[in-house]
Amino acid sequence: MPDEIKTNNILVVDDSPTMRRMVITSLGSLRTVKSTQAGSGLEAIERLAIEPVDLMVLDLNMPDMHGMEVIDFMRKHQAYRNIPIVVLTTKGEESSRTQALAAGANRYLTKPFDPRQLADVVGALLNAS
Amino acid sequence: MDNQNPDNRGEFFDQFLDDYYAECDEHLVSIRRSLVTLEDEVDTGTVDRTLLDNVFRSFHTLKGISGMVGLSAAEQLAHHLESYLRELREGTVLLSDSGFQALVSGVSLLESVINARRNDQPIPSIDETVARLQAISSESLPSKASEPQTSESDVTAKRWLIEFTPTAALAERGVNVNSVRSRLQEIGQLIQAKPVVKGAGEIAFEFTVATNADKSALEADGLTFKPAPVESASRVKDSRPVATIAPASVVRVDLDRLDELMRIIGELVISRTRLEDQLTEVKRTTPPALWRSLQETNLSMGRQLRDLRESVMRVRMVQIGEIFERMTFVVRDLARESGKKIIVQLSGGETEIDKLLVERMMDPLMHLVRNAVSHGLETVAEREAQGKRSEGLLSLSATTAGEMIVIKIADDGRGIDRRLVLDRAKARGLSHGDTDIDDAALLDLIATPGFSTRDEADRESGRGVGMDVVKKATEELGGRIALATKIGEGTTFTIELPLTLAIAEALIVSVNGQRFAVPQSGVREVLEVESASTKVLENNEIISYRGKVLPLLRLARVFEMNYQRDEKFHVLVIGEDANEVGLAVDRIIGQREIVVRAIKDPLAQSRGIAGATELGDQRVVLILDIVALREFAMHAHH
Repeated sequence: MPDEIKTNNILVVDDSPTMRRMVITSLGSLRTVKSTQAGSGLEAIERLAIEPVDLMVLDLNMPDMHGMEVIDFMRKHQAYRNIPIVVLTTKGEESSRTQALAAGANRYLTKPFDPRQLADVVGALLNAS
Repeated sequence: MDNQNPDNRGEFFDQFLDDYYAECDEHLVSIRRSLVTLEDEVDTGTVDRTLLDNVFRSFHTLKGISGMVGLSAAEQLAHHLESYLRELREGTVLLSDSGFQALVSGVSLLESVINARRNDQPIPSIDETVARLQAISSESLPSKASEPQTSESDVTAKRWLIEFTPTAALAERGVNVNSVRSRLQEIGQLIQAKPVVKGAGEIAFEFTVATNADKSALEADGLTFKPAPVESASRVKDSRPVATIAPASVVRVDLDRLDELMRIIGELVISRTRLEDQLTEVKRTTPPALWRSLQETNLSMGRQLRDLRESVMRVRMVQIGEIFERMTFVVRDLARESGKKIIVQLSGGETEIDKLLVERMMDPLMHLVRNAVSHGLETVAEREAQGKRSEGLLSLSATTAGEMIVIKIADDGRGIDRRLVLDRAKARGLSHGDTDIDDAALLDLIATPGFSTRDEADRESGRGVGMDVVKKATEELGGRIALATKIGEGTTFTIELPLTLAIAEALIVSVNGQRFAVPQSGVREVLEVESASTKVLENNEIISYRGKVLPLLRLARVFEMNYQRDEKFHVLVIGEDANEVGLAVDRIIGQREIVVRAIKDPLAQSRGIAGATELGDQRVVLILDIVALREFAMHAHH
């Protein structure tokens, strides 16, 4: 690793602005991280087109484009295939866990989430990549 | 992980409570709006899919964020509401009347739970409602009876395939996938939106749109378009329609920040007035060309300030329809409890009103609505006995008139019984022995603190807010309330409120050397009158005006100041028709934009004064309360 510390860009995708703020604040404990946000699946894909993204925190149930479709899209295309995805979705749809992981999500967490656990998971994925 | 250090987590998420409440409000408003539409689809077997999707997603989000802030009653309730919506969406359950009622009461309870937390009150129990929701969710259909209906598309519309390639440069100019989508939704029906990767690996979005608009309407930044291939048209037919939700380009702003902005603008307005005065002072000593150009700059600054103020005011405005929809729900609940049939008519819901006014008027308006349902409207049997149609009519309407918004709450019920009110007033020692009183006096009586024509037991319409509080709240906001009632025909409350609070156009007048500001919205006409042309009739000064008699009210007399009669004076005509009054003042000094400040010190409050303002010379000028003065004149003359 070079001495220079790389800032990782994390894209937080959720249709609830309150939830996005909660996630971004939780990730604030990671020092080498900056966050951008998107309020729908389509917006998330647009962010990918515009700027480099190092990791995505993704909600599933969103308007316009379901989170599962976002995973499918990213895993199908070379440029986004290796971006780690942490799915962060509301508890209650247990079948989606296996679906999301099979589609290529790296981790699957449920809301309500523990801010420290989320930061740990994201930090670990960033270190690994 | 749920049990991991819950206390710390609570503290961490407490910082998001304001965001949480604001987002809850948004979802509840949008859910209520959808439910009003859904009500028409009860028992029809077809339900608008897009609508269901939106309500489902709102419940889903409410569940998620409620869980985060640890409000588990709201989380669970939202979960059960969401589950019911899922069944509706999948068509395993039909939207029945009992189902719809359960949804409505679920939403009301959800709001109460959230508000209880917000106001630090005990959280109401959700058990009964949850049981009800579970019961209707299990009323599964034997077979899939109906396919949820998708929004109908216009068959004659042409389908276009539109491609948008996002770039950082376009995004900076505000052109992004959301702005493109909302533009396309404006000109046609958006059938599908999906991302694609082009040959060189760059991302683009493909929108399929059905529209009758011609090609030129589609042309815009970063878009290429072509007619959609026929096979894709048939293929997209089965796919889910794209939800028409508001684009995420909306920001939420704390009302306090807007207040701060308004305060600064208010100060700017005062500074500009000062500049104008100073310009007048230096006119004689300044070269004319230079002075004119200074004056031009000053005037355009004035225009820009007005634009700036209006823009900020617009940000604060919300549609009054949100309140009306809430009231519809309250009416529905009350009607069911009391076994009355009520039709609610709404009009002018798109009328915009300052957010602060809405918040302050919410409880008073709700009280009037409850009153109308509990006391005003009769039961079906009573109505039929009187030959009225069995459904009572409650109409809520809003219109703007000048700088005022007029809200009417009208019922066609039994009307207010003057005799009962008078008896009651006498029993309480409030009445002055009148046998007949007009509507205004009637309103004064029932708005006397502690007055109520009903027994203490019948409190459901009150909820702790009496007519006195309604009247006080209205007047504190610079508004006015009026009553019109007729036995057997119904009651109408009319509330007039200023559209905005802070800044108004005013005439500056002088009386006995003292200056007053008169809000221009209340002045109908300004006359110059020769003192010799006034007459005295029954101790009242009058002039003839447009072929009628206009009673005069000398401001100097109202405020007990000396005045000497000049040859000429000015009269401001206020009020309308039979209530017209002429305010007599010595001189009109000019027309100004004033920043209204309420006078909070009760010792300094006085009848006929609405507030205070500061003019450019930093001297405080009192603002006249036109409506109070008009009443003062009417009482003085009768």
